[in-house]
Formats: sequence, C-alpha cells, structure tokens
Amino acid sequence: MDHDRRVYDSIMELLPNEANPSPMVRLGRMSPSPEAFPLFAKLEWMNPFGSVKDRAAFALLKDLENSGRLPPGRAVVEPTSGNTGISLAAVSGLGGHAMRAVVPNKIPNEKKILLKIAGAELEVVSDELCPSPGMGDGSINLAKTYAKAQPERYAMPNQYENDANVRAHMETTGPEIWRQTEGRLTHLFLSLGTCGTATGLARFFREKGANVTVVAVQPSAGHDVPGLRNIAQLDVTKLFDPDLIDEILEIDYELAYVRALELSRNEGLFAGPSSGLIYEGARRVIERDQPTGLGVMIFPDNVFKYTSSMARHLPELAEGLEPTAAGVAANNS
Amino acid sequence: MSEYAQPGVLVSTDWVKENLTRPGVKIVEVDVDTHAYGAGHIPGAVGFNWQSQLQDTVRRDILSRPQFEELLSKAGISPQDTVVLYGDNNNWFAAYGFWLFKLYGHEDVRLMNGGRVKWLNEDDKPLTAEPTEISPTEYSVSSEHLELRARLEDIKAILEGDNENLVDVRSPDEFTGKIIAPAGMTETAQRAGHIPGATNVPWSTAVDADGTFKSADELRRIYLEEGAVEPDQPTVAYCRIGERSSHTWFVLKYLLGLENVRNYDGSWTEYGNLIGMPIER
Repeated sequence: MDHDRRVYDSIMELLPNEANPSPMVRLGRMSPSPEAFPLFAKLEWMNPFGSVKDRAAFALLKDLENSGRLPPGRAVVEPTSGNTGISLAAVSGLGGHAMRAVVPNKIPNEKKILLKIAGAELEVVSDELCPSPGMGDGSINLAKTYAKAQPERYAMPNQYENDANVRAHMETTGPEIWRQTEGRLTHLFLSLGTCGTATGLARFFREKGANVTVVAVQPSAGHDVPGLRNIAQLDVTKLFDPDLIDEILEIDYELAYVRALELSRNEGLFAGPSSGLIYEGARRVIERDQPTGLGVMIFPDNVFKYTSSMARHLPELAEGLEPTAAGVAANNS
Repeated sequence: MSEYAQPGVLVSTDWVKENLTRPGVKIVEVDVDTHAYGAGHIPGAVGFNWQSQLQDTVRRDILSRPQFEELLSKAGISPQDTVVLYGDNNNWFAAYGFWLFKLYGHEDVRLMNGGRVKWLNEDDKPLTAEPTEISPTEYSVSSEHLELRARLEDIKAILEGDNENLVDVRSPDEFTGKIIAPAGMTETAQRAGHIPGATNVPWSTAVDADGTFKSADELRRIYLEEGAVEPDQPTVAYCRIGERSSHTWFVLKYLLGLENVRNYDGSWTEYGNLIGMPIER
C-alpha cells in the first residue's frame, strides 16, 4: 500500500483511516465567517464505495468475523435501503460473503438498482402498511427473523445496535479530524441516522479531553432526506446518546435540497441533500453565535445518487431550467 | 386493577414457549403475506396467508364453511385443539383469523399477546425456518356464529335509527376523508370519509408500544368512559378491509366483555364504493 503514489493492490486499502483520511475542504464563498471561523467539509464520498457508511460497513463485518459469527460461506443480512447496503454489499462481496438487503418497498428504483449493482440480494417488504403508529413489522424485524431463524446461513451486523458502528468513528473519523485540524477543532456539525457517527466522534473527542461542541442537524417531520432520522424517528437506533450532543437543530427539510444545489454551484462540492442540511445547520449556528474557532461538517455522500430527489424538490432541474426556490442564487455570497 | 373479561383468550409469549410441544396445542402464524413466516416462525407453527387463504379469492367474501374446514384439515387442526394465533402487524391478521375461528365455532382459540415482533425480539424465544410437519385432519364445523359479523344491511339499519355504537378504527386521516386509504394500498374506495354517526378510535389506541394490549382499566377508559362505546348497546367495528377492526372487535368483545359486538368486514372498501350512501367527513 502506497498512499504517496496512491497505488493499491485492492480497493479495500482505500478505506479511510488516520494514514489515509477522507479529505477536508475549506468553504469559501459560503463560509459565514471565513476569518474567525474557518468551516471545513469532510468529504465522505471520497471513500471507496462512496459514503461515510464505508467505515461502519467495514467495522461491522470485521466485528462479525472476529467474533466468529461470520465464517466463510455465511451471508450477511441487514435492513438497509441506502449507503450502508451499498458499502456492506461491496465489502461483503470482496470478503466472499453474500449480502441480503431487506428494503422497504417505497425506496426509489435507483437505490434498488445500485444495491443490485453492488451485488446485494434484495428482499423488498411492505414497510408501511398503515400510517404510524402501528407500522408494519418492517425491514428491521424481517432481517432479524433471518438471523434468528437461520443462524447457520445469516449473520446480521445490525448497524442500529452494534457498537462496532460507533467504534468505527472513534478509531478512524475521530483521529483523522484531530490530525487534519491539528487539534484546533471547536465545532462538529453532523446529522443523525444510526447515530454511529455522532456517538463515535463525540466519545472520541470527549476521551481526548477536547472541548468540541457537537451539533446535530435534523430534518423536519415528514421529511424525505435519505439516511436521516428526525427526532421522532430516533427510537429505532440504540446508538443515540443525547448526553453527547450539545445541540439538536431541526431544519425545514426543503432546505436540504436547496443548500445541496448551492454547495455544488458555489463551492464545487457536489454534496447530497443530507450534506445540504448539515451546512444549513452550521450556517445558522455560526451566524447566531459568532464563534471563533474551527468547524468541521461531516458530508455523508455526494449528490449523484439523488438526482431524482433533487428534481422532485427543485422541479426546474429536470426541465433544464433555473430553480426558482427561495434562496437559490448562482452567486450566493 | 381489574382483569380482562375473558383473560383466557390472550396468552403470553412465555406461555407459548412453555406449551410449544404440548399435545393439542396448535400454533398458527397469520400474516398479510407469509413472507416473514417463510424466513422464520415459531417451531411447529403453521402459516396462514391472509390474502390467499383466509378469504375467498374469487368473490369478495370470507371463507365459506367448506373452505374453512379444508384449510383447518390441511393445517392438521382438530375442533378440540387449543389454537394459538399470532402474526405480523401487531396481530391484525391474527385477530381477523380469531374472528373467523369464532365465527365457525372453534371453541378454544387464543391470541399471542404482542404478535410475531414480540416473540422475535425476546432472546429466549426460538425461531426456525424448518417446514412444519403436518398430519392432516378431517375438520368439521359444528356451529356457525354469523351474529359476529355485520353486513351492509346492519349498517343501513343503524343509519335508519337503530341505536348501536359504530366504531371506525382507521387512522384519523382516513376517518376525516383526508385520504381514502393509506398510501400504496390496492384495496380502496371511490369516496373518502366515514359512515355517519361513527366514532373514530384508531385500532392502535388499544395497544402499547410493544404491540401488547393495554390494561383492562386503560381499555375501559378509552372505549367506555370516554364515550366512544355505550356498553348497553350493540357495537359494530369497521375499518378499511376488516382486519384492523377485528383487532378492536377482539378488544371490545373479549377483553372488555361487551355482549354484542360485530365486525363489519365489508368496511370502507364496501361502503365507500356504494352509490347514494350518506358519508360524513
């Protein structure tokens, strides 16, 4: 492995860690307080399979393998409709394991196709038989059923409960940021899904004794920002530790799409909607508190797999026209 | 704290575990589709598919008596067996199965409180994908209890002045006509709203977060003390296709012990498609 020349024997060697961190890019035009408060985006889409979930997927599989729960030939089963599925399918496949992704029927076609391209077997379940409360049993319980009823055939990483998801960020993302910011980090902006990133990073910086404010940015209720959960949806994960989060900001989810577009146009950062939301949270905190220090935003993935989501919220994009949504400007400064 | 009116019809997951191999106990998983049953089920359980096995698949109706007898014979169930039903979606379809078993006079049928999700998430409860070995029987129905079923004529009689409780157990959005049916449902109606005079008590009001039924006291408060149901009057429960209303029917009849409770299985997909019927929103 040669990070200098960036020549590798396997794509797996590109998985991020302190020696090979995902890049951080300083915001220019869209930075609210560029002198007093440099704001960086950590580009998780530069990971080999395209998202922050590469970290959890690798750590979860290693955990299963090291604990003897994933011997050769056994498959992985996981409820996932997005990045975790893509990363898990890729990492499992390279390790010689099949991967069964249990997905809700409402997921967009492009996601299903991507999972298939990554090598997953798909099991589509009707996840919303009735409006909540009283949802269907869901993809999580079906995945659990496979793992419990057929343990000789399936092992379930369980990204919502497995602490390996948290440890992945304590062992890679945290040390990377610390090194990349030379210990000057004061604010961390991220979003909550499984909460692996938030809990892992907050624990890392706390153990370091670093005084880092952790701000979680959440979409408003009824949102359709893939991968994120708003506050009411967080009970699905056991990795959420509210004591580690300094502030949870809820933001109108439409802004996720607007800001994602602006990041592409003004910063050349082809960020996905969750990154757009995180940016909006950072912007508000910086304008409100006027902090001095240094902020890092975790940008989970890029916009390429969200073209239809973008077009649903900014319909002019599909017409080849200029979006008219409030706040979208080619030269937002 | 008071007990349920007929506590014997509800068994716990622990009870099922202890009685898994007891002769005369037959366990049946009833799902909207048997996908999950195929992935893993309680050892020894038979799987019934609500869509293809618990209703007539040609005309719209419940299973006929011969169809019911054939289903139970093939499932290896005898009339004197203790049948324990459990299933997906908080036991909606298992409750429908319970209603059907009672309608065809099966004496000892019970629901497993909390359904398949509760069993699945308890570490000490086994699950298997092994096919269940079945010794077919010659099941024969000895009595029918059609008084458990409400038909359109009964609804019309209520509209014409019969003093009965009409409980709509759908979501508030369905009740108020904001939506006709939950998104993605194939069984739907031409019109949205509810039957005039109905009270909206969503089915989920009867269960706790883990899918088990609320206590007798809480159920009494929700249904009786808050005025949704006048206990001295007959009651009809309905929903969209008659499965969520089976769940509430079970609560009213067996957990609260109301004398005369019927399930209107035609529900909104019948009523909301009729021409000229009054609708409230």
